[in-house]
Amino acid sequence: MAAKGMNLCNVCCLLLYVITAVLAGRDFYKILGVSKSASIRDIKKAYRKLALQLHPDRNQDDPKAQDKFADLGAAYEVLSDEEKRKQYDAYGEDGLKEGHHSSHNDIFSSFFGDFGFMFGGNRQQQDRNIPRGNDIILDLEVTLEEVYSGNFVEVVRNKPIAKEAPGKRKCNCRQEMRTTQLGPGRFQMTQEMVCDECPNVKLVNEERTLEVEIEQGVRDEMEYPFIGEGEPHIDGEPGDLRFRIKVLKHPVFERRGDDLYTNVTISLVEALVGFKMDIVHLDGHKVHIERDKVTKPGARMWKKGEGLPNFDNINIRGSLIITFDVEFPQTQLDDQQKDGIRGLLKQGSVQKVYNGLQGY
Amino acid sequence: MEMILALKALVKSLLFVLLWSFCEGKDSDLNYVTCGSLVKLLNTRHNVRLHSHDVKYGSGSGQQSVTGVDAADDSNSYWQIRGKPNRPCQRGVAIKCGQGIRITHMKTGRNLHSHHFSSPLSNNQEVSAFGENGEGDDLDVWAVQCDGDHWERDEAVRFKHTGTDVYLSVTGEQYGHPIRGQREVHGMSAPNQHNWWRSMEGVFIQPSQEPLRHDEL
Repeated sequence: MAAKGMNLCNVCCLLLYVITAVLAGRDFYKILGVSKSASIRDIKKAYRKLALQLHPDRNQDDPKAQDKFADLGAAYEVLSDEEKRKQYDAYGEDGLKEGHHSSHNDIFSSFFGDFGFMFGGNRQQQDRNIPRGNDIILDLEVTLEEVYSGNFVEVVRNKPIAKEAPGKRKCNCRQEMRTTQLGPGRFQMTQEMVCDECPNVKLVNEERTLEVEIEQGVRDEMEYPFIGEGEPHIDGEPGDLRFRIKVLKHPVFERRGDDLYTNVTISLVEALVGFKMDIVHLDGHKVHIERDKVTKPGARMWKKGEGLPNFDNINIRGSLIITFDVEFPQTQLDDQQKDGIRGLLKQGSVQKVYNGLQGY
Repeated sequence: MEMILALKALVKSLLFVLLWSFCEGKDSDLNYVTCGSLVKLLNTRHNVRLHSHDVKYGSGSGQQSVTGVDAADDSNSYWQIRGKPNRPCQRGVAIKCGQGIRITHMKTGRNLHSHHFSSPLSNNQEVSAFGENGEGDDLDVWAVQCDGDHWERDEAVRFKHTGTDVYLSVTGEQYGHPIRGQREVHGMSAPNQHNWWRSMEGVFIQPSQEPLRHDEL
């Protein structure tokens, strides 16, 4: 009797669990691997990283690749839109209105450009004969703050797209030699322009939004290509749009590789008796410095882990190297002060003469 | 009854405020030409795009020539909008009407430039492309003249040269070989129908969020 009851209970529980599992919809935060309080930037960053990993072209032997990729697209579409995210947070996936869903291809191509065959060599080399439109290279200026924390740049691309038009046009024009017979045994060779007939095209301007990621630790001159977003070619493929990173100089920090250099001027008193201070870093956090010994002019302090993140592994950071220089008091000393200082410092006269430029 | 009417009025005004604030928010920089953007500039009177290439003038200054072309798909017609020398503009911020900018040719890295030389076909003021890697001199600066506060993408604007006070213009004269069919671009002292330009194709940079807030610096 009890066993039967137990069985019924189990079955009910199982049924309930299955029903909720099905109705509850997907956990978009889990799919993207972000916390519920993630910022839009974190979400974009996570999407971009996972999109490259999960793209079906890259996972040809995984039967679930298409589904995983589709889930990723749906997750990004909802969590990147403020309105939809609010609805999802409150009501789950089912609570989302049946509005217009952009295709995942649109989302993917706004991060990477057209043509998903970027994997395995940028362009299939067998298409060498297909003419290509020009590439466009845009110098993108980035601040050191953006190199430290990363950022996304939204860009509106307005470009001409070839559309069908009524009629025909001449294409693949080339010079050919034509032989004509003038009489018995007399021939003439002439050059002639021969063209094929193709459907007519006209160029229409269209617009779309692209997202460029400024990755943490990005170096000067690095490029982010968007395949197919360059200039069109009437008889072939469009060229690419490439963003070339140009890192701007910073008023406080100088970059050398992954290390940051900065200078601090302290007073003569601070140099002699010690001091405490904070340096505000590129993302606003404070680097605390304390000295209780004498600090010589030109002295360097090495702060490990306070440099820039390494582009290939953002868990590794360079160092912050601080060079101190000393500001002497502006006022002149009177005789009494001079005697006082001689007494305090107890340092004899040195007056060593040497060639400082040759390291003697 | 009165309560219901008052409530209705309140709801209506709330909705209006909501809609209005929503509209304000939507007035983003999507429609402006911003600092750092790449654009093609179309002369509206003659329907040609501002263009340059590695071909030098045969007369005048002998510097790189600037012309107007019919084609819409030539990457040599792309120019980048940048700030004045030593005064970079902030990436993604809309250009103000009256602001001085440099217009840098994407492919060759030379700036749109003018000076007291005569143009080869019409004897107006020569307009050339000058400098290396985006750096030239003070005669690279042009002021954007437009109505309103900022340079709108679909608005016709004028470019006035800051050093010599001429307007970037096209009057239709055409070159022969080796740049057959391309129009002469020159500077004219009077504003007229020949010096209106519109942004067309391009890559328009939107303003970014600050990576993280700073209290100082």
